[in-house]
Amino acid sequence: MMSAIFFYILATLILVFAYKTITANNPIHCALYLAITMINLAFLFFGLNAPFIGGVQLVVYAGAVMVLFVMVLMLFDLKSEIRAFSRGLFSGLLKIASAGLIFGILSNAIFKTGDLLGLASGGPGMPDPAGTSRDLAIMLFTKYLFAFEALGLLLLLVAVGAVAVSRIKGGTHAN
Amino acid sequence: MGSDIFEVGVNFGKMVLIFVMMVQIVPLLVWVERRGSAFIQNRFGPNRVGPLGLTQLLADAVKFIFKEDFLPEKSHRLVFYAAPIMALIPAALAFAAIPLSMPIEITQFEMLGSIWGPYRFVFQGYEIGIGIVFVLGVSSLAAYSLLMAGWASSNKYSLYGALRASAQTISYELALGLSLVGILLLFNTFNFQEIIVLQDKALAFSFFGQEVSLGWLPNWGVFYQPLGAIIFFAAMFAECNRLPFDLPEAEAELVAGYHTEYGGLKMNMFYIGEYGHMLVASALMVTFYFGGYSLGPWLTEETVNGLSQWIVESISPTIVYLMDIPFPESFAAIFEASQNKVNILTAFVFHGVFLGKVLIFLWLFVHVRWTLPRFRYDQLMDLGWKTMLPWALANTILTAIVVLVMRMN
Repeated sequence: MMSAIFFYILATLILVFAYKTITANNPIHCALYLAITMINLAFLFFGLNAPFIGGVQLVVYAGAVMVLFVMVLMLFDLKSEIRAFSRGLFSGLLKIASAGLIFGILSNAIFKTGDLLGLASGGPGMPDPAGTSRDLAIMLFTKYLFAFEALGLLLLLVAVGAVAVSRIKGGTHAN
Repeated sequence: MGSDIFEVGVNFGKMVLIFVMMVQIVPLLVWVERRGSAFIQNRFGPNRVGPLGLTQLLADAVKFIFKEDFLPEKSHRLVFYAAPIMALIPAALAFAAIPLSMPIEITQFEMLGSIWGPYRFVFQGYEIGIGIVFVLGVSSLAAYSLLMAGWASSNKYSLYGALRASAQTISYELALGLSLVGILLLFNTFNFQEIIVLQDKALAFSFFGQEVSLGWLPNWGVFYQPLGAIIFFAAMFAECNRLPFDLPEAEAELVAGYHTEYGGLKMNMFYIGEYGHMLVASALMVTFYFGGYSLGPWLTEETVNGLSQWIVESISPTIVYLMDIPFPESFAAIFEASQNKVNILTAFVFHGVFLGKVLIFLWLFVHVRWTLPRFRYDQLMDLGWKTMLPWALANTILTAIVVLVMRMN
């Protein structure tokens, strides 16, 4: 009962702020709304007895990735960004195309799921909160070890690439 | 939450009390800071208003509340007002997740004509199984308040301060998180309560198959992870934006950094956020490396339990005698000696131990602030990325190898 109430409050907040994310004009406001959406999502995970995923969501997405986004956005000349964002044929086409894509994904998901609003029967119950992080770690380091390491390598490559690009294109770190 | 109205009520009251505790420690800390800085610099400090200048805090609070609430003309109204509130939230959420004393076991008792209990109250806002990850996650949200304040002020100095602050918090968060991995490996759990219970005994470990035990030392994390403790403490200074890491508000370069345009109660909220961060940092330091609320072999639970039993049994009859007025029958039980009161008193004694340890670290924060000068910005970044991060990484790898070797047999 209590968890259901919390779920619906959080779900409403997530929907409202996600809507604000795509409708706000100012890029900074968009980023901040997205951050609020992610924080709400983290607390939704806590409510679903998956505290480790919730904590990681807070640390990685809300705490690190979005902070970097906001920081970079604040360095832009926002007036021209807003104009480039809200006018012009190309960006209009881009908007229509992405709206169509999202609509397609959503409608496909809804139609393929079938009995969406029916009661769940059987299926996995609530996980044990103490065991989940251990299970997750064991899975990551045995069954999915290759994918995990490959992802780590990919991120390392991206970081090295970013440093290399910033050194070629000039700026404070040019040689 | 709780199963009945009593438990729910106590849990809600506890949340409010913990928040009030965090807010109310701020004026005291400000007083300690000003008197402490005066002591260190051989000055008097505030000593005019009240005894030892203690009511200066009240005067400051009145000033903060009644100052005019102003908004810079070009600022972004919503974000400008949201930033100070955002400064309070991370510290409050993180502090509520830290156990301040042992859980209180309450057996069945009678009150107002009905039977209540048994209950088990944790001495913290809420118990979260993955305490460490939660606290790290929540305190990493603190960067938003600085960024929002700096950007919404529409002031170049504010924006520079905010950018410096967020770059600094992100850089030092890495060293902070890595220095905790050693503790995680050592104690094998995310849970604060379990970490503290593991530290609440005499120092004992197995060294190449031999049992080494030092009965006169507690089993504190700092004896296993001295490097981790130092890195954690230094990184916490950077996370709190305190000197020597207070580049975001370097007054010689940036006026006052991200809170240049703030005044009155909004400014005060930034203060509460900063001092709340210091409180959380000290509490975490105590929990991870200095045994939390426990004192190991120096003050065992049995000793305190016996002591509080004696106190309760000797005080209760006196109170019952002194309060010799016709009470309703249902209230009389409140003053009688019982096991519940012994448990509550024991928990509060250990809470006192915890607060004592936290105050030592808070004093260390103040002392460092008035001893060391500020870094240059490139020195700050070099220290974070080229010194602390590699050392924290080395500490993690070394701990992992040692733990693996020790647990082999």
